[in-house]
Amino acid sequence: MSALILLTVFGIIVLYLGFANNKKILAPVAITGLLISMFLSIKDWNLGSKYFHDMMIIDNFSIAFNVSMVIITILIFLFGVNYYKRMEHHVAEQYALMIFALTGAFLMTSFSNLIMLFLGIEILSIPLYILAGGKKSSFRSNEASFKYFLLGSFATTFFLFGIALVYGASATFYLPEIKTYIAQFNGHLPPMLMVGLLFILIGVSFKVAVAPFHFWSPDVYEGSPTLVTAFMATVVKTAGFAAFYRLLGMGLLPLPGPLEKTLWVMTMLSLLVGNLAALRQTNFKRLLAYSAIVHTGFMMLAMLSQHDSSASVLLYYTFVYSLATVPLFIIFIYMKRASSGLEELSIFRGLYKQKPWMAVFMTILLMSLAGLPPTAGFLAKYRVFILSISQGYLAISIFAIVMAIIGVYYYFYVLRETFSESDNPNPIEISRLNSLLIVVCGVAVLLLGIFVWSVPI
Amino acid sequence: MILLIILLLPIVTGLFLLLLRNPATVRIIALTSAIVNLLITLGLIISVPSASYTVNWSHFMGTQFSLGFDGISLIMILLTNLLFPFIILSGFTRAHIKIPVLNFLILFTQSALLGVFLAQNAFLFYIFWELTLIPVYFILLLWGGENRRAITLKFFIYTLTGSLFLLFGIIYLFTLTPGIHTTDFSAFNQLHIPAATQTWLFWILFVAFAIKMPVFPFHTWQPSTYTMASKQGVMILAGVLTKMGIYGALRFLFPIVPQGVVYWQNTVIIMCLIGVVYASVIAFRQTNIKRLIAFSSMAHISLMAAAMFVLNYYSLQGLFFQVISHGVTIVALFYVVHLVQERTGTLELPQMGGLKHAAPNMAILLLIVVLGSIALPLTAGFVGEFLIITGLAQFSIWFAILGGSTMILGAIYMLYAYQRIMLGDINPAYIKVKDIRALDFFVLIPLIALILILGIYPQPILNLVEESVKAMQNLIPVN
Repeated sequence: MSALILLTVFGIIVLYLGFANNKKILAPVAITGLLISMFLSIKDWNLGSKYFHDMMIIDNFSIAFNVSMVIITILIFLFGVNYYKRMEHHVAEQYALMIFALTGAFLMTSFSNLIMLFLGIEILSIPLYILAGGKKSSFRSNEASFKYFLLGSFATTFFLFGIALVYGASATFYLPEIKTYIAQFNGHLPPMLMVGLLFILIGVSFKVAVAPFHFWSPDVYEGSPTLVTAFMATVVKTAGFAAFYRLLGMGLLPLPGPLEKTLWVMTMLSLLVGNLAALRQTNFKRLLAYSAIVHTGFMMLAMLSQHDSSASVLLYYTFVYSLATVPLFIIFIYMKRASSGLEELSIFRGLYKQKPWMAVFMTILLMSLAGLPPTAGFLAKYRVFILSISQGYLAISIFAIVMAIIGVYYYFYVLRETFSESDNPNPIEISRLNSLLIVVCGVAVLLLGIFVWSVPI
Repeated sequence: MILLIILLLPIVTGLFLLLLRNPATVRIIALTSAIVNLLITLGLIISVPSASYTVNWSHFMGTQFSLGFDGISLIMILLTNLLFPFIILSGFTRAHIKIPVLNFLILFTQSALLGVFLAQNAFLFYIFWELTLIPVYFILLLWGGENRRAITLKFFIYTLTGSLFLLFGIIYLFTLTPGIHTTDFSAFNQLHIPAATQTWLFWILFVAFAIKMPVFPFHTWQPSTYTMASKQGVMILAGVLTKMGIYGALRFLFPIVPQGVVYWQNTVIIMCLIGVVYASVIAFRQTNIKRLIAFSSMAHISLMAAAMFVLNYYSLQGLFFQVISHGVTIVALFYVVHLVQERTGTLELPQMGGLKHAAPNMAILLLIVVLGSIALPLTAGFVGEFLIITGLAQFSIWFAILGGSTMILGAIYMLYAYQRIMLGDINPAYIKVKDIRALDFFVLIPLIALILILGIYPQPILNLVEESVKAMQNLIPVN
């Protein structure tokens, strides 16, 4: 709890520091805040504290996910030091809004009450609507912001309606009580409850961009400022999945048959639609958006294969995925600058020629996303498949494996561009700090693939 | 510990090479490391009866970093370490760009291959199995020939597809192991899987190996990849990488799904023999010499795959012998072909002719290698193919006839190709072609000597695999 409060306070401090007109102190202050809050989070390990009449339960699950999200946010802020150098005004707001979004994410990992989940989702989303429109003069950015806002509110409405219906049926917002209420029907739920649950699942699915609720994500990813896209693709997705898992694990499992089938269909659709669309992309940000949808499918697979270690695998997958995605976006930013604003896949040409080491680390990161050994991405997929196969979902696992193969095609398409000669090479300049961070991420991805860990959550 | 040294020596040397600039030093160091590794391997074969190295890797995933070997692995390790010095040596000719990176990738491949052959844990096996693809992908992508971008991607995706099914198989076997799940081969080997499961699991596991070998109809990646690959690239691919498929099949199929093997035995043998005839016929129609050899290699490998599934004493002996002999021959063959290409600037047979007048030494060496490849008596190829065909004949005489057609058809297309390269009137453009140089002698003479020595005195290799062959035979239930 102290972590959450401190995070809010630091968000406000960073916001007010904006008046000082000194961009240099923003990132250090924000990162200090994140570090302290991470430390405070870890201190609560194994305590299982409950707050606000049990509306929030901060258990090991929430702490593990919070820490992973804070680490990724710190990474994004460190990259942001360089990214926001060119921006003259409103830099403080960018940091502050991300911190506020993170507080929302904290709520989403630790709710045990539907209202708390709703608050979490809203606190996460509203800063993102603003951040997506961060480039005020850019037409695409405005479009992204507006689209995200409109569709996001629509999904929220569904979600809220679902909560109302569930409340109408069960007369409670508390997940454990809802669970006992559902259990008494033995799988044959009354229509009102069924529709309510379905609407809640739709609301959450929208947030994590599972097909067929994914249509916002490529446009929003493409239009938003790249650093915000990185934030959305990683931290927001992690938070969404933590909430999704908690919602299922604490309240809705075992799901009634039709709902479970729906979720499985959504999983397979995400894998299929994301892959097929990604094959046709020429814009790197859109490619990563669709690839994120595919990864969503794999995370769904981990989540739906109910096992004790599901949460741990989900955490590992989201963390490893984030660790590879963020630096890729950063490399993209530099390549975009070097090619005067293009976003095509061909801008990566010539990277190997000019910066061989960057190309090597890009290879490692792409391999991790594609799930090839010896990277952490491989282990993440391996563990997901262990889960799904050991739970007996053989056909779906084979389907997912075929999808993983298709994924390799487009990641290696990018890789191939990286190692091709450029027609008109412009100098690629990567700042020292960012090169170091990319190297750290690449090495971390390799090491996480060798030293396997599993958090008991 | 000695296994760990064999495994890590190449990659560590490779990483060190990245720090160096001078191409000559880089090549010498790389070559030295490969030769040292070969010597260590020979020492291992002669004096160390058994060795293993095990470190606990991840308890909750049941994976161990465990290395070990038996007769089958020894043959494969010997082949790998025997060929890599020549592969590195053949890069001494022309000043490529980025020599350190190239040699690093070659040594990286060597380590990964050795890892595949040493791994005693399926998970570890899989990691190395995939790891070989990465450096090979870059060798092909960065040093390949025409149209390499599309072809390498196809090669990569194609082989990876098989691998991922293998991964599924490994995980499935993992979930079947009793008690605390593990991916150790020893645990896999003791599983008693129901026959019905074995029949489908067989294909899940086999596809990966069938693609790697390649067996008809999984071969379509092979000809274009071989044709496009650089000299060293194609030597690695044809010499060692194809043997990974055979090794994997021996490791996974026969001990773990024996009933599946029995069930599909005839189907697979027929597939392989179709591949033999099909590849031989297509090879005859090729005008590009590298494509021709690619198909010829496919015919030989298909015969080896057929021998593997026949599973009697002679066929297995022949298979292991042929692993070595085919590796040595194909590497020599591709080396000479690249010599011809460097001299004439073309790979198309119709444009060549009469090279023997300009380069008599090259003509003689190519002739010996070609004769080795078509399994003339007193060459290594003869011993291997003779044993294999004897084994096939014990199983079914029709299979033996089909299998024997490799030798006949092989003789036709190889000698025809030789004729078109070396004999006849000389093309005026090639009058001033230079004969082979000292370096080429260094590469070719030892390889040719090996082909002849193994052909005349094959016993050491046969002794080496004797026990493994008997062990393999006992795996399959007699029906």
